Amino acid sequence: MLQFKLVLLGDSSVGKSSIVHRFVKDSFDEFRESTIGAAFLSQTIKIEDKGSQQEVVIKFEIWDTAGQERYKSLAPMYYRNANAALVVYDVTQQDSLAKAQGWVNELKTKVGEDDLVICLVGNKLDLCTEEGESSSKPKAVESSDAEGYANEQGLLFHEVSAKTGEGVKQVFQSIGEKLYEFKKHELANSKGRQGAGGDTVNVQLQRPSTNDATSCCG
Amino acid sequence: MMDVERSRHSMHPGSSGSGLRHSPRETAVLIATAGNGYPKKSPSMPNFHEKPFTSTNASEPILNSNGLPVSSEYVADNSGVQSLTDGDASLSVIEMYGDEVESRRPENEDGGNLEGDEDADSDELELPTSGMPPTGSAMPNSDYFDRYGFKKQSNLITEQDYDEWWENYSQYCIRRKHKWKILMEKSGLPMDNDSPNRFPSRSEKLKRYVRKGIPAEWRGNAWWYFARGQEKLNKNKGIYDKLLLKMDDLLKSKTKSMPDLDIIERDLNRTFPDNIHFQKETFQIDDPPMIKSLRRVLVAFSLYNPKIGYCQSMNFLAGLLLLFMDEERAFWMLVIITSRYLPGVHNINLEGVNVDQGVLMLCIKEYLPEIWQYIMPQTSSKHFSLNNGTSLLGGNDFLYKLPPITLCTASWFMSCFVGVLPIEGTLRIWDCLFYEESHFLFKISLAIFKLCEPELIKLKPLRNGIGKNPIRGQRGSQMSNGESEMEVFQIVQTFPKQLINPNELFDRVIFKRRFSLNKLDQDEVDRCRKYVSSQRLKYKHYSEIMGTGHRNNNNNSNNNSNDIGIASSSSNSADGEKMAGDIINDALSSEVYGFKKGLGGVHWNNSIKAKVKQMRKKKG
Ligand SMILES: Nc1nc2c(ncn2[C@@H]2O[C@H](COP(=O)(O)OP(=O)(O)OP(=O)(O)O)[C@@H](O)[C@H]2O)c(=O)[nH]1
Ligand SMILES: [Mg+2]
Repeated sequence: MLQFKLVLLGDSSVGKSSIVHRFVKDSFDEFRESTIGAAFLSQTIKIEDKGSQQEVVIKFEIWDTAGQERYKSLAPMYYRNANAALVVYDVTQQDSLAKAQGWVNELKTKVGEDDLVICLVGNKLDLCTEEGESSSKPKAVESSDAEGYANEQGLLFHEVSAKTGEGVKQVFQSIGEKLYEFKKHELANSKGRQGAGGDTVNVQLQRPSTNDATSCCG
Repeated sequence: MMDVERSRHSMHPGSSGSGLRHSPRETAVLIATAGNGYPKKSPSMPNFHEKPFTSTNASEPILNSNGLPVSSEYVADNSGVQSLTDGDASLSVIEMYGDEVESRRPENEDGGNLEGDEDADSDELELPTSGMPPTGSAMPNSDYFDRYGFKKQSNLITEQDYDEWWENYSQYCIRRKHKWKILMEKSGLPMDNDSPNRFPSRSEKLKRYVRKGIPAEWRGNAWWYFARGQEKLNKNKGIYDKLLLKMDDLLKSKTKSMPDLDIIERDLNRTFPDNIHFQKETFQIDDPPMIKSLRRVLVAFSLYNPKIGYCQSMNFLAGLLLLFMDEERAFWMLVIITSRYLPGVHNINLEGVNVDQGVLMLCIKEYLPEIWQYIMPQTSSKHFSLNNGTSLLGGNDFLYKLPPITLCTASWFMSCFVGVLPIEGTLRIWDCLFYEESHFLFKISLAIFKLCEPELIKLKPLRNGIGKNPIRGQRGSQMSNGESEMEVFQIVQTFPKQLINPNELFDRVIFKRRFSLNKLDQDEVDRCRKYVSSQRLKYKHYSEIMGTGHRNNNNNSNNNSNDIGIASSSSNSADGEKMAGDIINDALSSEVYGFKKGLGGVHWNNSIKAKVKQMRKKKG
């Protein structure tokens, strides 16, 4: 099993907690308590190794943070050592994209890792796609704009709805695959260096955890 | 965008609400939980409240008079109040009782009030008075909601768990209330209605009574009394109404001069969504009265104290207060909580909460060393160390680089344990907070950690990594504790949520004299807070000299104080050595904190002085 640390960032009320709950519990509450500080959850997914066609289990340690501006000062504690970041905005709120871009900048300058996987996620898609409903909100952020930005910055990009569940699984799936790719690469490198052969050598795939048996790849 | 009533005492139909929408599917769900002819008010709310108050606003506390399930006996008991309130539904509790409430705080805490009645205080006594059923059949939805209107069921507690526990705990509450009544009578305080507004003078006995729980129906008044709310209000008569007017003007002028408004608005429906008083029924266009009150209190506060403005978590503080007292009192209690009990905790830079986490970490290290090893790697990181391995700043680096667990405990303080424990536990903590002041929050935090111990010891103690900093550029040498830290976090985050019985916390820890943590008092916490905040300032200074903050400032013009309290990943020990000479004097001058009643302090103090002397010798 591979274990990765993933952190959720984004403005208050864009739906970070809702996305996590959809992913972890497959449920949605219209009204969920606002997050104070942070919450920690975990969930596993399976991905397929494209070479060997074998299943790989990936466990996400998820840090869901509070979005209000002033909690920003605590954020470095969360994204320290993170393998992936999910930067969320609300597709009906233009300024939430600006906030998301701020987070992307912060991650890039402060974390500055090439193998940090950042995924830009536009949430609440359902509000714009309810056909024929007069109450449907205008989409304030065009997909193409956000996607353009994401490509420019080398981010993964998804539009989702925590409410309907649309797209949520795929977000984590694609992050998992990307992380696995990186780790395989890293593994290959370290194998080369150590000159070790064979497919089952005891090389750690995930964040090194020298004395924790449970976190070794297995 | 939103609409706020001009006056608290009148209803304005047609306020636009929050812009949240319901699909037909949710509508069904909402009706199932909140609609269906259930009364809008608390299941616990006495009958006499339903007529006058549901139709006005929430400026009346839900539970101001009778928190226990309604029985005919109780309704009769309250007839005195009924006639009072029926006369003028808009009359607030303050207007009714006004200045009668004493504002002075008697100081004779240990005033020899121990009349050898330790045993008479036993909870086991059977009472003759109780004719009340433990769960009220008078209230239709008591099946789903507790006496404050919260859903009984949570992620970790089933309705059945709840009911089983409540059967006993409600009896306990009845016994305690009986004790309180006797105490009140002995103290010469009138008990002619069930809403006393004066309480006995401070004593060890009263402290014990408070720790065993204030009767739910009296809580609003008791908190107000013990926190000296009336004193505050008397000094600020009329301010709240002025703030409401100001808020109204602001909203009309439409100049978006208040950034907090938006954030408050987003949080209104995310405050106690599981409580019936905060739920909006789908057929209502208007916000429920409770939400309107909450909006007014929070907006008024952000106008009153721009240094704090609005901080997420204050919605829970205000929300809980509103269940127990009217709006104006709730407002002033919020002022008192955020200034007296939790100073700086909600400020824009959240420095107060970081300081308190530093204090809590020191306390754990001092009082619960057996748990400390699960929270902190046993040797401090090299970041602040000199070449001989001594830690420059007295081994207390964790005061600035707070360990990850503080991301969990920070919320305990910010929301004053609302949502951290099941509600009855939170209320017991609030009882003690207002009587004993803020050190109780630390005490109860320690108690929670103590109760977590059996689960924690199943984990391996944290060991320090290979000695390198957890810099992302060097992932290969990261600390090895990542996984363990997560597990600790998960335990500490989850454990209190399933602590359904508050007495568990109190009987097993707080009432145990042999636990050294019970030596922690307000004096100690005050001193400790000062110490931690000065140490953090020194660190800030230090890191500025060292240039560790530079990167942030260059790249991020709008948040320059970001890294305080977070392990900074950008300094290296070469810099550290270079500047060490300059720091030594500073380090020497910095007092190492010693707990006055603890054992560790003295030793600790000596060892740091010795270390610094050593360092000085080396530097020549
Ligand atoms: N229609 C719709 N509403 C959503 C969706 N996701 C979240 N919401 C609503 O948006 C509000 C905010 O969601 P949260 O998940 O609490 O937001 P958050 O980002 O965790 O906010 P903070 O905890 O304050 O940082 C809630 O009322 C949700 O019901 C979605 O996909 N569709
Ligand atoms: Mg959240």
